Amino acid sequence: MPLIELKNLSKTYNTTAFPVHAVNNVNLKIEKKEFTAIVGPSGSGKTTLLNLIGGLDKPTGGSVFVEDRDIATLKSNELIDFRLHHIGFVFQAYNLIPVFTAKENVEFIMLLQGISKTERDKKAIELLNAVGLGERIDSRPSQLSGGQQQRVAVARALASRPNFVLADEPTANLDSHTAESLLDLMEQLNKDYEMTFVFSTHDPRVIKRAHRVVTLEDGAIKFDVGGKN
Amino acid sequence: MIASLAWKNIWRNKKRSLIIILATALGLWGCLLAGAIWMGWGESMVDTAIDRDLSNIQIHKKGYTQNNEIVNFIPNGFRILKETQSIAGVKAVSGRTLVEAMAASPTSTFGVKIVGIIPAQAKKVTDIYNRLIEGNYFTGNGRNPIVIGKKLATRLGLKLHSKIVLSFQGLDGSLNYAAFRIVGIYKTESSLFDQSNVFMQQADLFRLLSSKPIIHEIAIRTESARIMPQVYDVLKPKYSHLAVQTWEELAPEVAFTSAAMESFTYIFLGIILFALLFGITNTMLMAVMERVRELGVLIAVGMKKGKIFAMILLETILLSITGGIAGIVIGGLSIAYFSHTGIDLSALASSMETFGASTLLHPFLPLDMYIALTVMIVITASISAVLPAWKAVHIQPSAAIRTY
Repeated sequence: MPLIELKNLSKTYNTTAFPVHAVNNVNLKIEKKEFTAIVGPSGSGKTTLLNLIGGLDKPTGGSVFVEDRDIATLKSNELIDFRLHHIGFVFQAYNLIPVFTAKENVEFIMLLQGISKTERDKKAIELLNAVGLGERIDSRPSQLSGGQQQRVAVARALASRPNFVLADEPTANLDSHTAESLLDLMEQLNKDYEMTFVFSTHDPRVIKRAHRVVTLEDGAIKFDVGGKN
Repeated sequence: MIASLAWKNIWRNKKRSLIIILATALGLWGCLLAGAIWMGWGESMVDTAIDRDLSNIQIHKKGYTQNNEIVNFIPNGFRILKETQSIAGVKAVSGRTLVEAMAASPTSTFGVKIVGIIPAQAKKVTDIYNRLIEGNYFTGNGRNPIVIGKKLATRLGLKLHSKIVLSFQGLDGSLNYAAFRIVGIYKTESSLFDQSNVFMQQADLFRLLSSKPIIHEIAIRTESARIMPQVYDVLKPKYSHLAVQTWEELAPEVAFTSAAMESFTYIFLGIILFALLFGITNTMLMAVMERVRELGVLIAVGMKKGKIFAMILLETILLSITGGIAGIVIGGLSIAYFSHTGIDLSALASSMETFGASTLLHPFLPLDMYIALTVMIVITASISAVLPAWKAVHIQPSAAIRTY
């Protein structure tokens, strides 16, 4: 059973004079422990595809199965709960809560899951150590560099013990050295925690590091290289 | 942690939050002080009316208040007077003989009520003896001494030691005339009272009336205002053949004005909070619109809409309560200060006398009003939060995350 399975997945926007097929009849299977990059030029549908996999958008056609469960059929609050327990998110602009410290940002997800304070503390420190920020647990996002903020975001994504992590252009705002370092970290976490990573990118450095590269063009899969399927 | 997030969010835009906190604090401060002055005014009207002549409870013959003729005295009045003295909770009693009369001076005449008293008894129930601005309270030995109000003295052109002639009906219907020597002139907060009440000793009155001792009114002072209902509950059935009335029944206009002051304060508070409601809503709407991306991220990572709603509600309540508490503290301190020093309204003395209130007001606000105000602030904040919170929960995370 694949971890993620997209069946005839489509997303059409009818907001303009003519319909825009952002995702067009995509069929894709992603197995556990994969380190997959969704690539393609701007407007190719990478982000929309990630939003559909993450349950942030509803498809206009087809289905998204996560561990055999069709998330497109879930109601709004069920979907939020599903995201909380099954999916970790890393965003291009880090999107940390600015008034919280690094540790509080990581802890917050676990609070939403109803985990006890002691366990939250322990796990948050452990994760921040794992992403190399054990010394900065009490720093606020404004006191951290872009790369450090993105590491906190990765720790936050892992805090909920998700089935997989979705990262939307995680290196887009980082310089090459920091980007490489972040990719090292994600690869290490993929290896150590057997965590599945699916990320969108058009950064050649990232594409080089991916174990599987799915290329999108006009919302449809053009190439799928390196996967198990 | 959500409460901590809500609190931290308030201080993300310090200037904006401080403005709304300051607006809330100043609005409530002004409102509380104004309310306390009104309440103090109402209380002053009640206190002065009770101290001046009403006392806490009065007993009359049934129907006396409608027909106050001299013949409507209390049967066995002195025995009842003595009995009431021994009832638990009664501090002092005073029997009054009341006669309607016409007062005349060489220049003018005016209708008055003669209040026949035993000065030693009356002193324990009312404080007219304390309101003398000239003369004494029946301490001399002269014949037919009388104490009159300043307003009556002015109206009739009389001074201390002047003679005043009173004409009044006797028990047998005959008309009596007698000259009295003014031994004291008093001045209370009510010019209306001062011009229409003259005090003389009961013994003199009985002698002039050639009558046996009679009283028309028993004024009862209870040990405290709180115990008055209990004393009333004892007296009412005991003297069911008489009219036993509290000051509230005797002077409903004073009781109403006092109660109205409390209602005005609540109405004023309501208006201030209603105006603040829009300010708070606007501030919170701005706070939500500025954080669309962040709220979108929170929804994306798994914060349920109910929790988002609760967080915005909590932020609004914390913001409002901070301003509210500041207003209550400043208001409470101002009220405590002015309650101690009093507010001198002697510049408005003539208007105040018309209402029978003291010119030195001591503002006060009961504790339950502070509690009610806190509840009102929380309710206002909750209403203010509805629109911003509704906006927040309807954020589409996929779109919000890409908002810059």
